[in-house]
Amino acid sequence: MNLVTAPATGTPVQSPASGFLRASLGVTAVLVAASWWFILAGGGQAGAMAGGDSFDQALRFLRGFVGLAEDGTIARTRSGEALVPAYLQWDRWVVMAGLAIETLAMSVLAIALAGVGMLCTVLPAARTAATGVLLLGSPTWAGRVTYWLVRAMYILTRGIPELVWAMLLLFVFALGILPGALALGIHNLGIVGKLCAEVVEDLNPRPIQALRTSGASSAQVVLYGVLPQVLPQFLTYVVYRWEVIIRTTIVVGFVSAGGLGREFRLAMSYFHYTDIALILMVYVLLVIAVDLIGAGLRRLAV
Amino acid sequence: MFELIGVTKRYGSHVALVPLDLTIADGETVAIVGPSGSGKTTLLHLLAGVVQPDRGVLAIAGRNARSIPHGRELSRLAGLMHQQYDLVPTLSVLHNVLAGRLGEWGFFKALFSLAFPQERQQAFEALERVGIGAKLYERTSRLSGGEQQRVALARLLLQNPRAILADEPVSSVDPARAEDIVRLLVQVAGEGQHTLVASLHSVPLALAHFQRVIGLRLGELAFDLPAHAVQQHHLADLYVLDQQTMPLVGEAVGH
Amino acid sequence: MATSAGNEGRFGAGAPLRQRDLPALAHGRGALTVLLCAAVLLSLLRVPWGDDLVRPGGVAMVGQVLGGMLKPDLAPEVLGKAAAAAWQTIAYAVTGMTVALAMALPLGALASGTLVRNPVLRRVTMVLARGSLGLLRAIHELVWAWLFVAALGLSPVAAIAALAIPYAGILGRIYADLLNDVPPQPVTALQTTGAGLAITFLYARIPLALPDMISYTFYRFECGLRSAAILSFVGLGGLGFQIQIALDDLLFGRVATYLLVLVALILAVDTWSSQVRRRLTQ
Repeated sequence: MNLVTAPATGTPVQSPASGFLRASLGVTAVLVAASWWFILAGGGQAGAMAGGDSFDQALRFLRGFVGLAEDGTIARTRSGEALVPAYLQWDRWVVMAGLAIETLAMSVLAIALAGVGMLCTVLPAARTAATGVLLLGSPTWAGRVTYWLVRAMYILTRGIPELVWAMLLLFVFALGILPGALALGIHNLGIVGKLCAEVVEDLNPRPIQALRTSGASSAQVVLYGVLPQVLPQFLTYVVYRWEVIIRTTIVVGFVSAGGLGREFRLAMSYFHYTDIALILMVYVLLVIAVDLIGAGLRRLAV
Repeated sequence: MFELIGVTKRYGSHVALVPLDLTIADGETVAIVGPSGSGKTTLLHLLAGVVQPDRGVLAIAGRNARSIPHGRELSRLAGLMHQQYDLVPTLSVLHNVLAGRLGEWGFFKALFSLAFPQERQQAFEALERVGIGAKLYERTSRLSGGEQQRVALARLLLQNPRAILADEPVSSVDPARAEDIVRLLVQVAGEGQHTLVASLHSVPLALAHFQRVIGLRLGELAFDLPAHAVQQHHLADLYVLDQQTMPLVGEAVGH
Repeated sequence: MATSAGNEGRFGAGAPLRQRDLPALAHGRGALTVLLCAAVLLSLLRVPWGDDLVRPGGVAMVGQVLGGMLKPDLAPEVLGKAAAAAWQTIAYAVTGMTVALAMALPLGALASGTLVRNPVLRRVTMVLARGSLGLLRAIHELVWAWLFVAALGLSPVAAIAALAIPYAGILGRIYADLLNDVPPQPVTALQTTGAGLAITFLYARIPLALPDMISYTFYRFECGLRSAAILSFVGLGGLGFQIQIALDDLLFGRVATYLLVLVALILAVDTWSSQVRRRLTQ
């Protein structure tokens, strides 16, 4: 770990940067030690660390998962027929495919909301735009206020987890993919907004100055100088967040916002463990599919 | 075309130009030479109306530079070509060239043109003039340095200013292409009756292609002569502090 | 049109452009735009638009929620609970991240393919390591949490494992890329002195990639904190658990307090980690 302080080696006088890094390293060490001590000492948590008891419990759960009874034999109904695990039943796969499409629709709506919201707010959220550097105007009072407003909105929307957004929205909306999509969209708006605002801030200003001197107006500079430079990077970030969103759809589904997550919750409450195994398979397939589509989209963007 | 009377410019404590008097006529081709930091870029930025003089008077086409509104009017008078081309790398060559028309276009025409390019024929002709018509639909970032410089020139042709100002147009181009670019620049300026003012690192190129050569040193006018009248001692004085450039100067006058 | 006036005669050489030969960018970006719009439209059709989209009394609820949100409950008892829950969330995040780190380092090293010389063997280890990293991160931490709680009960092990598994997948993938993308000159320089793969790995690749690796780990810690808060929704203690209880009781003032603590916590770690990263990668 001595590389954390690497910037200081070579210079005899310790730079302030390395002092900060040293302190950060110390804080990290203390945090790690204190956290482990807290957890190992019981952590204020009801359950203790895993013992023999919980091993049995885990084994029983795993047996249920693959469709075996608690004693390890094939699970049977009361009348003695063998229970076919859900993942071996074709019609269960069809049902799950429908739910997967619903989940996919939820993720697309969510990323569309986040993306459009970001596009509408990202320019004033860039520091260079607020200070007038970006479009070579003079800084305005209104520009600074919008900058802080949008930045505060980003912090708030991404600071509140998507699950909390979903729970709040479900006070208003009926169960379904809409509240889930809204929750995911709002949360990710803050994240893509922050990422993309940094892209705008890091923009190469020289082509913009050149456009300016050739007589373009501010709005035209946005069209010809800003957007073409930032859009590929924007698309990369949006696609990356979409890949994260598809993993999270199942989570907002837990609070009944529809899709595979809701089915997961139901199966958990009814102890239909083979259903859960099937849901997880479909879920992983969905995630892989979205990753592949995302990789294709990124290639189109460059 | 340009008239400077007692123009000074300083950036903080750094004096970029000491009081400078200079007149450049319509249609002249002028090269500005001098070591780094001699004020070449500052002078070009003043002529382009990008910066204003601290003191003194600068007239562009007979009008006080301060009174010329930025945007359309200024873009018709003077067009600046930058050292690093300053094109938008992710746009196609076509749109980068058409960007020269933005001063004339309104917002909606500019927006529409991104989806359905307008005035493509003019853009294509401008690219043909600089010799890369075939690159019309290429992505600008895929072009070589010399080709990008040509795109920047084509953009200026569409802007069609009365004066073309080029700041170190060949500093980022390999030496073999530099001569081509300078020749093209002078030729294009001549065809369109543009005034041309270019700053150059290479004295031989300045002497070979321009009518008039201005030497700047530490923000001061060292000499201002027709190209054929420039002598070895003028250049020696100009680069006296810059040992590295000396061999180049000797070679230039030896020809 | 003043453009290039007077010179038009000279351009006869280049064939005039036809409206037909549209730019190449038209098919790439145009197709992309159409595709994305179609996806959004199709998704919109899946929403059952209708009068029952909004819960009965849902609109009135907005006022109640907003009212509570604007008046955080700052009673000492609530603040005490918030502090305890915040610490528990931090502890889960830190312990989970340390386990993730311990899993990600070896997997990432294997997935980078820089430790094995034999090309066939390298290919095999890379595919295996990358595949397992992909599987680890495919499933969301909250799903892991629920599965672990179902299997192990409400134990801290469930929380730590649930956090560690997906984060090991994420960290390992990035570590592999970083170890692969180090500048090649120092590595080859070391190899020409006769150093083996292990030595090159320890003395060139790790030191070269370490600032970026630490920087990325710090960034992920911020995400881990958010995840740890979410994890507790399945019953494991922490800020998420408190938020859930307060929401069930419709105590929106308390929800606001816990959310404020969570946002403040994340903001603090965000600032800290961005400072560290700026200094590490400058």
